[in-house]
Order: sequence, then structure tokens, then C-alpha cells
Amino acid sequence: MNDSEQAPLISEEGEVGFVEYQDFVSKEPFKFVSGGSLPELTLRYETYGHLSAAKDNAILICHALSGDHHCAGVHGIEERKQGWWNFMVGPGKPIDTTRYFVICSNVLGGCQGSTGPGSTNPETGKPYNLDFPKLTVQDMIKAQSLLVDSLDIERLHAVIGGSMGGMQTLQWAIDFPERVGRYLALASGARHTAQAIAFNDTGRQAIISDPAWQQGHYDPEHGPDQGLAVARMMAHITYLSDVGMQSKFGRKRRNVDESKEHFEVEFEVESYLRYQGASFVTRFDANSYLYLTKALDRFDLHSPESLDATLSAVTAPGLVVGFTSDWLYPPQGNREIVEALLRLGKDATYAELAMDFGHDSFLVRSPQLYELIHRFLTR
Amino acid sequence: MSPTDKKRQADFQIIARWVNEGDRVLDLGCGRGVLLEYLKQKKSIYGVGVDIDLDKILSCVKRGVPAYQGDIPAILATFPDDAFDRVIFSRTVEQLDDADAILAEGLRVGRHVTVGFINQGFWVNRMNALFNGRRTVNEVYPKPWYESMPNNPFSVAEFEDFCDARKIVVENRVYLSGDWRSECSRLPNLLAGYAIYDLSSID
Repeated sequence: MNDSEQAPLISEEGEVGFVEYQDFVSKEPFKFVSGGSLPELTLRYETYGHLSAAKDNAILICHALSGDHHCAGVHGIEERKQGWWNFMVGPGKPIDTTRYFVICSNVLGGCQGSTGPGSTNPETGKPYNLDFPKLTVQDMIKAQSLLVDSLDIERLHAVIGGSMGGMQTLQWAIDFPERVGRYLALASGARHTAQAIAFNDTGRQAIISDPAWQQGHYDPEHGPDQGLAVARMMAHITYLSDVGMQSKFGRKRRNVDESKEHFEVEFEVESYLRYQGASFVTRFDANSYLYLTKALDRFDLHSPESLDATLSAVTAPGLVVGFTSDWLYPPQGNREIVEALLRLGKDATYAELAMDFGHDSFLVRSPQLYELIHRFLTR
Repeated sequence: MSPTDKKRQADFQIIARWVNEGDRVLDLGCGRGVLLEYLKQKKSIYGVGVDIDLDKILSCVKRGVPAYQGDIPAILATFPDDAFDRVIFSRTVEQLDDADAILAEGLRVGRHVTVGFINQGFWVNRMNALFNGRRTVNEVYPKPWYESMPNNPFSVAEFEDFCDARKIVVENRVYLSGDWRSECSRLPNLLAGYAIYDLSSID
């Protein structure tokens, strides 16, 4: 049947251009689900676009494990790399900054400006390190809700996120149903599989077994860089796919110096991963990595009762997107969320994109993802 | 709307007749969500569409119709008994791998089932087979066999036999003549171009 529908034309795209971060500071004590607390809290964030007079056009973007608040634009003329979701956020893009006021904050427990294990405890004058309370995804979004309060926004037009950001998005829809207009979770799931926990713990063990870790009390300048780099290398493999790696690297070799050691970089893929590991340690804190991965492992919408019971609180329409080549958060884990929502009679949609980039597919520009997000936000 | 679209959607009114205000409706093989959108407007239903094709899901998203991209048997298996007031197979059964089992699942998940299908016994189809040795290609099915979806056509008589054998209760049946617009009742296996059945299971 020839019943294709003409794709709506997206107007010409622009860039958000130069952006600056801001810090939201709460001097009130912040209580964690675990019972622990912080005397005060900072969340670093960026916004793009303008908040409407009715304050009804705000979109909150939740970042993934190694992401940050900088999802679009550049901070200065010398900055080569644009924000992590620059292709998605900007004038005329699916998350259109001429229509929406976009907020993205560095997550609680992170290390890019928000309060995390590496932050100074004002009560002791020393870093929290392992005194930082046990962290959950619920804590992350509770902190974000304070930021949203401070911007005087009652209800968000949408909450969007991929991976860890997808889990935060789902948690928003569950914990703050009256504040979420719609939600869009990409490459996420209701809980980690045993395999995902296994990979995370292997990464944590790489950090903990690095002598420089020192039970978490390392000098920030001399942290467990080896351990963190190995953790990142391994995690990075889980974000890609066999097919994707094969087509990107195959068995391509570097120009090998035969006179050198046996275990110098020989293959392109080794070089790539080592670079990923080495660059990660310059921007990420090892304790943050431990706390955040553990928060993800603990995340479980099937608990305490059942997935259906947890999701029964949701009222907003949702879109969940799985990616065929994602073996870290596989399609089935995304699908089961929508299956539960539909059992509950909720407005929910599941779409599955065939892309070769594994878990990281949501960070890769594709016309279908573009269409999907654009249509869901404007429907 | 083109004449072809009109013809395609002639069955909507009949399908809508059997849907009650506010019903929970599952449309299997929902395509672009046009039927669910129609039922939402006419009967304020809660509707969910299922389709295997991402492009179709994109259209459902645009229409604001909740949709699930995936296999029909897989999604049916996740629903408890009588999860929906009505499960609709509109020009879907012809394309199913295991129609028998999936219709049984439809009757489990839905209190009522609607099946709409093209009558393979329609005289034009018989003539084309007999005199031309070819299947019918028309404005509704414009594509030749090598461009269309796998198709397992059946006739009104064959569907009646099936319902009989499986002890499925036929609550209503409506036949449309060759123009797919006017209803007909005489010699449906020969004269109906399209058939719509309203089914339920015995208990």
C-alpha cells in the first residue's frame, strides 16, 4: 500500500551558540532517600531559549553517566567541541530553542560543578569522599526539582533523557506526575540486568584496586587514574556494538614500531579505547564514578512491589525508545516499560530504532530519531 | 482525502458501530493510527495501536495515538485476559503467520474482536483467477505480488468455517459490496468485496 505521509519539514536549523553555565545553590539541608543528608547543595546547569510568560515551555534534559549540564552550544570561541546533544538542541532542531526553554543540570553526585563526593563539606572543610550519602536516581531528580522550583516553573512541558538520563526521566514521571507534561526515555530500562551490574562492578573494582584510590581519600590531583581509565575503557565497549566497532576499527593497525614492547598499541581499537580512558580521567572523578554507577545498579522500578505498581503513579504521556544494537540496555528492557504502562491503560508509545551504534545510538544523529522527538514534543 | 482513502476508510463507520463510548481498544496492525484517531474522536476511546514498522509508529506519534512497535503475538502475550473491550484486526489477519493462535489470543485479551478482511471469494477475484490467471490489482491493493506484504487471502465462506470450527461466536457480520461502501447481504461469499465481523468467545 502506498500510504506514506509526507514528512513535515523542519525549518532551517541554527545553533544555540555561546552559552554560560549557572549555579543553583540551596542552603537548605538536602535529605537523601537513604537517610543521609547534605548541609547544602549546588547544581550546575545551563539553559537555552526563553521561558514563556506562562512558564509552560520548559524542557528538562537529563544527562547520561558520563555526560554533564553542557548539552548544546560552546562556552567560548576556543572550545572545539559542542555540547553533547548539540545536534538535537537548538533553533529549528527537534528540541527547538525558539519554542522551548531548555534546562540541563549536572547530576547530584556528579563532578562537573554539582555537589558530589569530590565537593568540599562546608562542615569539615574537607571533601566528602566516601562520607557522601548513599545515592539513588530518586535523589538526583529530587535535587533537580529544587532547581526547577528556583526557576519558578510549576510544570515542565517535557522531561527527556537517554541511558541514566532515561532512568531519571522515568523517575520524574513517577515521583512528580503533576509536574511532567510528557516524558521521553531513550535507551534506558526499568532496572539493570545482571550483565550491566557485572560490568559496572568490574569498573568499580578497577578503581578500588588502584593503590592511588586510598579508600577514597585521594588527592584530586593524584587520583586512581589507572583504575578509572580501565573502568572507562571497559564501560565504553558496552556503549558500542560489535557491528559498530567492526566497521569503525575492524583489525586496522597503527604503524607499529617492531622494536618496541610486545604490548604497545598495535590495533586502532586499542588506541581508541586508551584515548577514551586517558581523556576521561581529566574530566571525571573516580568517587563520582563509583557513586553514580552504584545508583544505577540499585535503580529498580520492579521494586518494592512490581513494575506495574511503580508505574501506576504515572499520568503523563510517554515515549520510550529502544535501539536494536543496544546490548547494555537492550530493547526488551525498554519495551517492558511500555508493556506495563499499556497494561495500566496509560498513554505510552514504544519505538525501536535500527541503528548500529549500540547503547550510544541515542547520541548519534539519525533522521528517524529526529522525527520521533520532534513529533512527540509537538503533538 | 483521495477516493482511495475514502474507500479504505469506508469500514471505519461500521467498526465504530460496535465500539462503545470510552472503550479500551487495541488495534493490531494499526498502520498510521487513522482508525484509532477516528474512534477517539467519535467514541472517546482509550486506544493503543500495534505495528511492526517504525514509519507507521512515527505517524501514530504525530496523531497522538499511543502505539507499540513490535510483534503482535509478543505484545498480546503481555496482556491479562479481557484487558481490552475490543481488539481490532483491520486487514491484518491476512498477513499473520499463525492466524489461528493469534485470533485466539485476541479473543483472550479482548472481550470482543473485530475482524475486517477482503473477501477472496468476491466474484471479481474469481474472474481474475479464472480468466486472467492473475490476482486482482486495484486501487486498494495497487502493488503487484512482488512489492506487497506476504498475503494469505481467504473468503467469507472460509472464515465462517473457521469461526464454526473454533466455536467463536459471531455477534454481527456486515458485508460491503465491491465499492466497499454500500452494505450487501445476499450471497456474501460471491458478492461481498469486504467483510467485517464482530466476534466474541463463548464464555
